[in-house]
Amino acid sequence: MAKFIAKRVALGLITLFLLSVLVFFMANVLPGNVGRRVLGPFASPQAVAALNHQLGTDQPLVTQYVDQMKGYLKGDMGTTVATRQPVSDVLWPALWRSAKLAILAFIIVVPLSILGGVYAALHEGSLRDRVITVGGLSAAAVPDFVWAVVLLIVFSLGLGLLPSTAAFPDGSGVLTQVKYLLLPAFCLVFVLFGYIARMARAGTIESLDADYTRTAVIKGLPQRAVLRRHVLRNSLLPTIAVIATQVGYLMGGLVVIELIFNYQGIGQMIFRAATQKDFPSLEAAVLVVGVVFLVSTLIADILYSVLNPRVRLGGAES
Amino acid sequence: MSQRETTRRVDAIRAGSSELENHLIDEYDAGHISRRDFVRRGTVIGMSVPIIGFLASACGTGKKTSTGGASTGTAVQAGGKEVQVRPGGTLKLGMSPGPTTEIDPIKVADEGGLGVMSQSGEFLSWSDNKLQLQPRLAESWKPNADGSVWTFKIRQGVKFHDGTTMTANDVASSMNALSDPKNGSNALSTFAGVLSKDSAKAVDDSTVTFELDGPNGNFPYLVSSDNYNALIVPASFSGKWEKTFPGTGPWKMERYTPNSGISYVKNADYWDKSRVPKLDRQEVKFYPKEQAQILAMQSGEVDVLVHFSPTGGRALLNDPNITVIELRSSVHREVHMRNDKAPFNDKRVRQAMALAVDRKALVNGLFGGKADIGNDSPFAPVFPTTDKSVPQREQDLAKAKALMQEAGVNGASVELNTWDGFELSDLAQLLQTYGQKIGLRLTPNVTDAGTYYGDAVFGKSPWLDSTMGITDYGHRGVPNLFLTAQLTSKGVWNAAHFRNPTYDGLVKEYVQALDIGAQRAAAKKIQVLLLDETPNIYPYFYFFLTSTKKNVGNVEVSAMGHYDITKAGFTTGS
Repeated sequence: MAKFIAKRVALGLITLFLLSVLVFFMANVLPGNVGRRVLGPFASPQAVAALNHQLGTDQPLVTQYVDQMKGYLKGDMGTTVATRQPVSDVLWPALWRSAKLAILAFIIVVPLSILGGVYAALHEGSLRDRVITVGGLSAAAVPDFVWAVVLLIVFSLGLGLLPSTAAFPDGSGVLTQVKYLLLPAFCLVFVLFGYIARMARAGTIESLDADYTRTAVIKGLPQRAVLRRHVLRNSLLPTIAVIATQVGYLMGGLVVIELIFNYQGIGQMIFRAATQKDFPSLEAAVLVVGVVFLVSTLIADILYSVLNPRVRLGGAES
Repeated sequence: MSQRETTRRVDAIRAGSSELENHLIDEYDAGHISRRDFVRRGTVIGMSVPIIGFLASACGTGKKTSTGGASTGTAVQAGGKEVQVRPGGTLKLGMSPGPTTEIDPIKVADEGGLGVMSQSGEFLSWSDNKLQLQPRLAESWKPNADGSVWTFKIRQGVKFHDGTTMTANDVASSMNALSDPKNGSNALSTFAGVLSKDSAKAVDDSTVTFELDGPNGNFPYLVSSDNYNALIVPASFSGKWEKTFPGTGPWKMERYTPNSGISYVKNADYWDKSRVPKLDRQEVKFYPKEQAQILAMQSGEVDVLVHFSPTGGRALLNDPNITVIELRSSVHREVHMRNDKAPFNDKRVRQAMALAVDRKALVNGLFGGKADIGNDSPFAPVFPTTDKSVPQREQDLAKAKALMQEAGVNGASVELNTWDGFELSDLAQLLQTYGQKIGLRLTPNVTDAGTYYGDAVFGKSPWLDSTMGITDYGHRGVPNLFLTAQLTSKGVWNAAHFRNPTYDGLVKEYVQALDIGAQRAAAKKIQVLLLDETPNIYPYFYFFLTSTKKNVGNVEVSAMGHYDITKAGFTTGS
């Protein structure tokens, strides 16, 4: 296991390095220069040159990249180009806000979809099964921003029950924050429900057909015990892995949802940084999302191994 | 007051007035200019507001002039008269996209930045929604005989929020910081050829003189709120303005979170007691996308949207729960046609393209009628110097086709460049349709803003180098910058590559003119020349729209993006 983790961490570091190179140089090949983007098209060339000099964006690209990486090694992520704040002052609160939204979405969708999937499996082929599987798939097929608009029209503009923004006021309590985050969280629930429920359903059906389940039933265990001890324990393994891999998406891929609900998460930070040619922010945010992806998939693998003794990672079976 | 007393007072004012002021009074008295133009021009040349008010009543004939401007108001529907509001409370405002860069008076260039900056900071004067200059940190101002030196009397007893006293030295230092090229100020474009480094001098604690590069009749506008960089900051200003928002204004910054929002509390010690805010606080939320702020307004989360576009906010226009404030403005699109490149090096082709455009359809289709029709010059109807007797160019396809035939151009292909913001890509497609009607094949090339503007210098910018393109321009209270930068031979934004010595001479005449009659005479010649040469098409000037809840009163905005809520509040009974 330790060897496996060490190998994955090493590969992860190489991936992050390549990611940083890609993001930096690809963003820099886009036309337009940073000073011009910040000051606007009608600023004088002297003003633009002065700002570029101040920001260091008049230096060769390799110098800029090396300077940035040196900063990372010292724990300094640099300064945002547009608002001239330390990147870390923007990044960590944004990441925490995205995490809050992701946690709420998970709290709703994980039990709901697992219950739905197991229920559908137990009633395989029935109308209830079809409603859950087809309904879940249909919901997942609708893009998250469409859900956002529908939910906003119904619950915010129509019924006036929930706010149209996810940006809760500073100093809000947990319940107020949940109220503000419910609509965007439900957009994610609709998108993820079908996917997770299908995995849970498939795993449950497979477990129900397995020899160990038949043996448990034959030896006279009550149905509830069979389900809890034998079916669910085995059927949820792939589901847990799927859930863990969704963490990366929820923590960095919600650009549109965060824009629609005006939520200052990491998705919106990436969008803003990309449109403003704010390379220090873009680089840092993409790398952090990369780390979240790597860590969540690593945790998924480890969890899978821990829950399923038949799996031994990294050749550790010897 | 008896007629005799009125006459005596008018004579007394005239005796103490300069030649320039007397000329303006004569023009008004003779009915050559409207009351509104008299007031507006009076504020520009530095006449005091009470005297202007008295003379406007005492001398004016009230008759409307043929050259007009009487209808060139700005507030199409300025939210009505001042209403009674309850003192106290917090007003919530929405702003899209909010400040996109560090808020630094020297460098700020975006509407969000200038909007929040001018709550706690102030200017020498305030260009209001009628384009009249209201004295703020300057009590009065006067030009010398030819308008090359302007002297500003600085208000005394005004304090910055940190308690230090504002003096003429702070004013001179603020202005010199803007005109010094090494600071990279965003105002360098405005001050080019007008105000050079170290040209502002504090003569004493209450007097600042500006020695200009040449005569300029509209100079007070260039140091008013119309030039949003011209905020007065302490001479000790270190460059980190957004830490404390140091200023003299009616609002003190309470908390600022970049990209999220800002809140202010009222400055109870504000120097002008009539403008101490009636509200206790204001909270501004920033929305990166316009649709999010429209939803926030509809769902009641904000009380005011400082600015929304006619295209993005149509839902608000007919909402019975919302009041929309409309301001005429000089916001426009310039469709440039390279005068030195085929097919537009023949002015008949440029004229034909301009004649193919159905401006009324554009205004109705793109803006639901919330725009003024343009007449192919930067002279927007909102400017008092715009000569409305110049015939309006209308769509005339037969004439356009005949001109194309005369020019021997048929089936020419031209790339039409613009970027994917506002209504620009829609306009590009509509121009493509109009081009087809006269045998011009226009191919829209819509990129992102960074690609379109490039480095914004000749040779490195699709905006300035392309044969044809559409560029977005914001509001200005006077057309000077548009006339010089967009169209003079050395203009830094002359995308049409228009070189016309006669035009250059007329612009110089216009800029130097001190009285409105001379400005209007030069304006007419410029308008006629541009209509004939058609270096650019100016299809429309669209309105600046603000929305408020029905129970909110007295919100004032300027088309530049500044807002003034010192008198605003929640209406009594709401």
